[in-house]
Amino acid sequence: MSEMRQTLEDSARKVFPNWEAARDASDAWAQVAQLGWFMVGVPEKIGGLGLGDEGLAIIFAELGRALVPGPVLTQFLVIEALVAGAPFEERDGLLERAMSGEIMTASLAIGGRSSEAVMDADKASHILLRREDVVALISQDGAQVKARETWDVSRRLFDVAVVDDAQRYVVARGQKAAQLNDRLDTLLCIALAGDALGGARAALGLTLDHLKGRSQFDRPLAMFQALKHRVADLKMMIDTADAFYADRTSQSLTALEAGELKNFCCAVYRDTVEDAIQLHGGVGLTTEYAIHRFFKRAFLNCALGGDADYWNERAGRAAMAESQAKA
Amino acid sequence: MSTDLQDFRAEIRQWLDREAPTDWRSAATHDAFVESQRAWFRKLVAAGYAVPHWPERWPGGGRTLLEQKIIYEELSRADAPRLLLPFVSTYHAYATIGECGTQEQQERYLHAILDGETWCQGFSEPNAGSDLAAIRTKAVRDGDHYVVTGQKIWSTMAQYADMCLLLVRTSTEGAKQAGMTYLLMDMDSPGVTVRPIHQIQGDEEFAEIFLDEVRVPVDQRVGAEGAGWAVAQATLASERGLTLMELSYRMRGALTRIARQLTEVGRADDRGALRDLGALKIRIDAVCALADQFLRKRMNDEEQIGDASIVKLAYARCLRAYADLGVRFAGLDGQFHAPITFGDLNSGNWMADFMNSYAWTIAGGSDEVQRNIIAERMLGMPREPKSWTAEVAA
Repeated sequence: MSEMRQTLEDSARKVFPNWEAARDASDAWAQVAQLGWFMVGVPEKIGGLGLGDEGLAIIFAELGRALVPGPVLTQFLVIEALVAGAPFEERDGLLERAMSGEIMTASLAIGGRSSEAVMDADKASHILLRREDVVALISQDGAQVKARETWDVSRRLFDVAVVDDAQRYVVARGQKAAQLNDRLDTLLCIALAGDALGGARAALGLTLDHLKGRSQFDRPLAMFQALKHRVADLKMMIDTADAFYADRTSQSLTALEAGELKNFCCAVYRDTVEDAIQLHGGVGLTTEYAIHRFFKRAFLNCALGGDADYWNERAGRAAMAESQAKA
Repeated sequence: MSTDLQDFRAEIRQWLDREAPTDWRSAATHDAFVESQRAWFRKLVAAGYAVPHWPERWPGGGRTLLEQKIIYEELSRADAPRLLLPFVSTYHAYATIGECGTQEQQERYLHAILDGETWCQGFSEPNAGSDLAAIRTKAVRDGDHYVVTGQKIWSTMAQYADMCLLLVRTSTEGAKQAGMTYLLMDMDSPGVTVRPIHQIQGDEEFAEIFLDEVRVPVDQRVGAEGAGWAVAQATLASERGLTLMELSYRMRGALTRIARQLTEVGRADDRGALRDLGALKIRIDAVCALADQFLRKRMNDEEQIGDASIVKLAYARCLRAYADLGVRFAGLDGQFHAPITFGDLNSGNWMADFMNSYAWTIAGGSDEVQRNIIAERMLGMPREPKSWTAEVAA
């Protein structure tokens, strides 16, 4: 294990040993900012830690493990837009504020559909506006925001309508905007993949605790082979996702490669929580047990950042093209 | 990648362009396929590509992990045949004799493997499959020989083998595992009868071995009498790692067969079909990453209990999904019989591929056995109480 991984994971597990430790959104936000996580992906020469996507990938999985609430993922997107976009006069100042925890938000949808699934738009000072030909940061008072209640209470999503004359900082235009959008989609997909992987591991852990702790027919549930085999299949898929995530996030990815990764990890998370509720039995349907929180976040992850049909179709078309190139 | 490795890749690619057989898919009989395997193995040995996983003192041995990976990637890219006939010799026999054999045994058998002596494995029996420790083939000591009587089954290519890795029972006292002994048996010894098994897809890859008072010299025992179970673990551990990496990459390369199938049936723009193809592509990429990671762990001595089960189960399930999608896209066409391609798990003969995929979901520890290992040994789920027969007897 690399030293960077060890350091980042250790600090994450100290501050957020489990989901309950991250339950309060504003406390969790302050912790994340204090840990310096918003600086992790930013190059050293502009005030960051310079750990790149590999460092970020470790953090994404920790956020998912502890179900960290709040607009953390979108904060990373805004920071990346400021770093990767064209510099402008106020850029360094805004970047510094974002790294220290001033909420700036964006949409969790891919591509240009950036008016929906904007996290915590009511609390943000700025909102990242993504269109095909322009990416800009607008101040929050230039937008009308409407809250929509989600099943997953760890995330607050808003619809956003931008007022025409809203004050804006243009980050990228034209061809540069297309490149930046691609990069932001890539980062979003890595973030969702990591969140899914961390969440799936934690959900499997809760399920195992339950199976080992509860007895029926004079034996722990964990002794029944029918249940062992289902859990073993989940473990196999999670370990596969784990290896896939480690492999892909150690290289620089295209949006499609990141989307494929997102698809796989989110599908594994979804399958894990689906079985986890069943294996918990009746108590899995109560709010007394935590598993429903992972269940809801897993389903939301599937719907964000391009859904399974979208990425599978793109991957399929790429496979067709690859086969034609070989022939 | 370093220049050295690039050079190495270029060297093997050039060699393969020149030497890789292109006609092996057209072998019409299993015998013809076996002949082509022998010829291909001789070429690989001569060029130094046959046993990259052996130590440096062997010709072609001592390759680094990255070099081995390159060899298998290039073999797969060149669509060269996998080494099936010498598989047990170069992996199982090598690992067993190399790790647990005497100096004398190593001298006598390992060189011969490179000269083309082939081995088979005599482990499973009709009543000892997943429960390997239940074997009953009996060996009785008679002077400086063991006299062996019993039956072995699912022995890959035993009808072509010169030697056999044989697991026998020398005692029925105490734990089942404690009474097992490991022997190296000449297949042309009197009393050995081999009968090929006719498989559902038309191949004869496996055979039964009948043993009727076969005499095996005591100096052909590996490890002590009663230590057979431990030696068998060395045999079983040898086939993972590289093999699974090679097979995963071959499956990845063979994704083009499904893509072509889709084009052939005029569904290249069918979004539903493309989504299923895409999902499979992603899954195979993930399994390749897992196989890579496993191999790296093994080379760095970081392998944990159960890791091998995870990677085998992941590959086997993915292989089934591959064949499943091919069968589906082939539709009715796939139901008409076509001659099989010996030695290819991803041949594009979809029903044959599907039937072949059981070789990985059943052989070498079935999916169900792997799941038990994962659940009990990795995840700490408690074992069931001793078998019901023991309880009823008590």
